[in-house]
Amino acid sequence: MSMEDSREGKLTLVTTKPCFGLPTGCPNCLPVYFYLKFARLPFDLYFNSTFPDSDQIPYVESGCYVAYNNEKGGVIDCLREDGIVDLDSDFRTIPEWISMKAMVSSWLVDALVYELWVASDKTAVQKIYFSDLAWPIGTILHLKQSYAAKLHLGVTSENAERIETEIYSKASLAYGALSTQLGDGSFLFGDRPSSLDALFLGHTLIALQVLPDASVLKSKLLNFSNLVKYTEKLSTELIDPSAQSAVPAWSRVPSSEGNPSTSTNKSGGFSNWSSKPKSKPKKERTEEEKKFRRRAKYFLTAQLVSVLVFLSLFGGSDAGEVDFDEGDEGIDYYD
Amino acid sequence: MARSWSLEGGLKLKNMFGYADVWDGSVSYGWDQTTEVSTGVSLPRMKKWPSPVFARASLLSQDWQKFSSYKEQALGFGLGLLSTRNHELAYNLTWRNLTDPSQMAGDSVRRQLGHSLLSTLKYTFKIDKRNSSLRPTRGYAFSSTTLFAGLSPDSRSARFLRQECDFRYALPLGFYNTALNLGVSGGVIFPWGKGFLDRPSSLPDRFFIGGNTSPVCSLGGPSSVLGFKCRGLGPTELRRRSKDQPDGDGDSSVASERDAVGGDLGVSAFADLSFDLPLKALREAGIHGHIFASTGNLVKLTENEWRKLSTKSFMQSFRSSVGCGLIVPTKLFRLEVNYCHIMRQFEHDHGKTGVQFSFSSPL
Repeated sequence: MSMEDSREGKLTLVTTKPCFGLPTGCPNCLPVYFYLKFARLPFDLYFNSTFPDSDQIPYVESGCYVAYNNEKGGVIDCLREDGIVDLDSDFRTIPEWISMKAMVSSWLVDALVYELWVASDKTAVQKIYFSDLAWPIGTILHLKQSYAAKLHLGVTSENAERIETEIYSKASLAYGALSTQLGDGSFLFGDRPSSLDALFLGHTLIALQVLPDASVLKSKLLNFSNLVKYTEKLSTELIDPSAQSAVPAWSRVPSSEGNPSTSTNKSGGFSNWSSKPKSKPKKERTEEEKKFRRRAKYFLTAQLVSVLVFLSLFGGSDAGEVDFDEGDEGIDYYD
Repeated sequence: MARSWSLEGGLKLKNMFGYADVWDGSVSYGWDQTTEVSTGVSLPRMKKWPSPVFARASLLSQDWQKFSSYKEQALGFGLGLLSTRNHELAYNLTWRNLTDPSQMAGDSVRRQLGHSLLSTLKYTFKIDKRNSSLRPTRGYAFSSTTLFAGLSPDSRSARFLRQECDFRYALPLGFYNTALNLGVSGGVIFPWGKGFLDRPSSLPDRFFIGGNTSPVCSLGGPSSVLGFKCRGLGPTELRRRSKDQPDGDGDSSVASERDAVGGDLGVSAFADLSFDLPLKALREAGIHGHIFASTGNLVKLTENEWRKLSTKSFMQSFRSSVGCGLIVPTKLFRLEVNYCHIMRQFEHDHGKTGVQFSFSSPL
């Protein structure tokens, strides 16, 4: 399927399951959902509830085309580079936009990770990620992911309080800056949405609807009424399963005109961690190398088979004799 | 789960606790890209239980990246409840994880990636009256394996029913130690539980046909049609399109490779005529010749595909091959050097006419 076909074909967004009244409860998946909604691209939702520790989810697919979360800086960047949709073409040259996106992608992501995996009673993440897994698997993966979250944040028993203070302080600063930037506007920059709006909206919705009322992060967010109104307004407009919108001209970019990404967006968030280091991509092999390796494999296999045949046909000891086990004497086996 | 291994190393300790208990640990490597590390204990007599009881913990890894774009890791615990000459009943609790490190899997394989819990009860009835498992010239064998998955109050565990049958018959023809071996194998898998008609079957538990195992010796369901490569027969689907692949004039099916996704209903059959060779040295070594014909088919039933299936279409989509070759039955394994000619295959099958090697472990 050519890129033209993948653009024309309907997209499917694969996320974790819906919960807490949201189309997906995962902080990594919800921004992608909103990004596609902002772009008014028709797409279907498909839920994967059996792979909570995958760094591939969320991903967007259309036929043979797939944009994984752990490639090229995330799904949103993949969609831009592949010419599917680009909401940021007018914003990438604005320094404030770049720095705010970096702030949302780092400080606020870390704050939400801390709140969900460390500070809270873990019932939220249990419901988001592990409720569809059989009990022993869900329990073990929950423990594994909690440990990975603490490792990512650098939280230990000695520095837990300091890290917590630092995280909440940065979150407050971020909310303050974003609130000032938003003002009374509909979007954070200008009169059209960008990936920054998608990221931030995903964050605020999770903070407001998933976190418990006793959450410090939630209470900090609630101090900024314009951010809360912004969240409520956009979520009401966008979270509508029946909405099917046409594609406006400004959301499409031909792949040949795509600009190199200057985004400092992380490749996802907490669920992208893996305690295993990622393997390096295999070097491209030429046809000649592949042929050589295949022939070498056949040659070695033939040598090994010849040796084995020789040994078994002409070898000394008879390996076919039954090895009588003295320990089995006197034991009867029923047929 | 009983398996046939090509290479196995183990350590055994006997009677550690005075109950004739046998403890063992082993590392095994199989023909089908399988590696297993396991440890277990068997008790020949446990109170009034009529047969030996065994318990086993194992860590298994299978690499199907090349054929189906996934790797499987399974951590399992098995309990053998009944083990006699003809009957075997075992319970297994397995945590299985399917991953795709290459990130090239097609649609239906992607859907199956992740963790699953299998709580299964497996019953095997086997009767083997053949005079030899390496070169049967007389007798018959029958095997039936029923695997019931979902034996757990937790509805989130995998739920399916898998049944496979094998029948082998060896007829001596009375000259030059010639024998005609006939065999037919069949298997079906179907999910059960809420919404089972719309659900796909579990990918690793489906039937895959193809590979280097001789069907004469093995009794493991429909697994092999000579001449077809590993997982080279049956349903396939396009893999993910790589950014490095050229557009190929817009024909993506040429540019992209395909994943073998297996089938829910598989049937294979063969006829094999074995005979001694004129040279005395070869006869004394047990090396003999054979000519054969084999056929097989693999289709999907789940996700309402069974509605589109008819007996006529099923029969018309059988693949087949014929050939001849030499068999070297060593003490460790049975080696076949065959020339296979593919009579019938479909567009995305991987059957190859030519000389092929085939290996089997005697079971």
